[in-house]
Amino acid sequence: MSATVSLSKSEKSYIRTALGELSPIRADGRSLLDYRSIALETGVASLANGSARVNIGKTAGEESGSGTEVIAAVKLEVEGVLEGEGVDGGRLMCTVSCSPAAYPHLSSAALDDLSYDMTIILNQCLSHPSLHPKNLVIIPKRRSWLLTLDVIVLSDSGNVYDALFLAARSALCDTKVPKTRSVQYQPKSNALGEQDVEMSAEAPASIFSTKEVKSTADFELADYWDEGEPLDINQEWPVCVTLNLLSAKSLPTYFLDATSQEEAAIPLRLLLLFSFSPSGTRLQSMRLMGDGEIQLESMTQLLESGENHARKLFQALKNKLQEEDFRRNQKALARFDLR
Amino acid sequence: MSTNFDRRRINGPEDSFSPVLVDDDEDETKWRPGKPRQSRQPQDIRPIFLQPGLISQANGSAYIETERTKIACAVYGPRQSKNVGYIERGRLNVQVKFAPFSCHKRRAPIRDAEDRSIAVLIHQSLVSSVRLELFPKSTIDVFLTIIENDGIDSCVATGTVAASTALADAGIEMLGLVTSCAATLMGEEIWLDPNHDEATAGASTLVLACMPALNVVTSVWQNGTISPKQGLECMKACQERCETIHSIVAQSLVSNFTPE
Repeated sequence: MSATVSLSKSEKSYIRTALGELSPIRADGRSLLDYRSIALETGVASLANGSARVNIGKTAGEESGSGTEVIAAVKLEVEGVLEGEGVDGGRLMCTVSCSPAAYPHLSSAALDDLSYDMTIILNQCLSHPSLHPKNLVIIPKRRSWLLTLDVIVLSDSGNVYDALFLAARSALCDTKVPKTRSVQYQPKSNALGEQDVEMSAEAPASIFSTKEVKSTADFELADYWDEGEPLDINQEWPVCVTLNLLSAKSLPTYFLDATSQEEAAIPLRLLLLFSFSPSGTRLQSMRLMGDGEIQLESMTQLLESGENHARKLFQALKNKLQEEDFRRNQKALARFDLR
Repeated sequence: MSTNFDRRRINGPEDSFSPVLVDDDEDETKWRPGKPRQSRQPQDIRPIFLQPGLISQANGSAYIETERTKIACAVYGPRQSKNVGYIERGRLNVQVKFAPFSCHKRRAPIRDAEDRSIAVLIHQSLVSSVRLELFPKSTIDVFLTIIENDGIDSCVATGTVAASTALADAGIEMLGLVTSCAATLMGEEIWLDPNHDEATAGASTLVLACMPALNVVTSVWQNGTISPKQGLECMKACQERCETIHSIVAQSLVSNFTPE
């Protein structure tokens, strides 16, 4: 993983010394465990099934052009299981593309590598079977939804992984899977092979009866209005917390939400992805990135504090998503009534 | 339901099915998810065959085999970096290629042979062990060829061991030998060094790379769902096993060493 900005040795040492002080100093005046302000909006892409835009670190008063900005959108496509690449039960695919505008000094090959690395991290975590949504099936063993999650990094001023997963989680929570109904064509018994067929719509075929499955030929969208059900997974979609490790010897010290300068100065990062559901806290992914090493004993403490930070972030995001949902549904309806 | 349906012809079915080629339904002895582990204990690893110096034209090389994972690694360098300006620290370049016949599905050469995600993970495990500050303006190339693949986790772990052995064989200065071990969470049990079937059946997989001589961890990579407590247990189990692997690596290097 290449650093996104290049700094001189003295600049790096300046940042590192300031962070390592007894009372640490950061360029923007935050304490080690402070996040920059996070802005989030869902439903930004009207043609997508679910979408979200996240900005970390936009300074108040400025319209745009500062902070880390990421857009995520979910598109659902119908896929045949028998023909093509589809699998029974549906698939989830994530792609990250980094805009050249976000990384102006990277060559196009380096940019591709960076996008690929981010894609792998997102894909390995989110398309793991433990997070697979159950309602991506249209007709068992025949048709399923292919869920593609595309994330675009519009600008990067540090902490891009947290932003990626915030946007991914918001877009996935925002996603509505269209309701479908299985449809069957039955030729009339006396006129076998004739053109006139009778159409009967039935409830989604049960998985237990193979006879029903075979007879279902196609499906139709159940609703005229563009609505559907949210994705149905056993757990919650995870949130990411990046711990930037200052020293990982016996007493680990770290800071959160690094700017790109700080990222260049402190090479070692620990990515932790947690998912919080009523059944308990689950670690969904963990990854050490960068040049450096840590002691296993310090991992206990890092995991513990990472979990605390992730829980706060998760709760804040949950509240914000509810607020967004309210804004887009109830408020919009109320405004519609006023007219 | 085509509109011009010709009844005089023999019409085939609307859908066709590709034949199922794998016939593992009959085999009673085959391991299946839910069964206890076959032929070894949960905390056991597969036997390792490690031979440094098999590729004579390379500065250093190693071949590793753990049952059905077979990886060859060659190290070239340190040599002059091409097409770049002055760099103060040397560069460690890791490339992983799959042989076309290494997986169930054919990996087409050139188009589909390279896997950057494995290379990134192996690079992560190795980079802090090599004293790159001693090699300004130069590159150390580590080329890995996966001859047989039995799970990505196992490839990352054994690939790291092979690469570290090859680096030592090339006489490149390092802070310590890097060894690596994978684990999977099967129910409530931790199974070390899983093969492909076990890794896919497990709820979560974890690969840990460390330098046992210095007691530091250089890479952790976990995927899937696991409780934080079990995650720590996995890491501890892996680190313990890495010490065993360390002695295997050291022994193979010593027995290959011929004083000039």
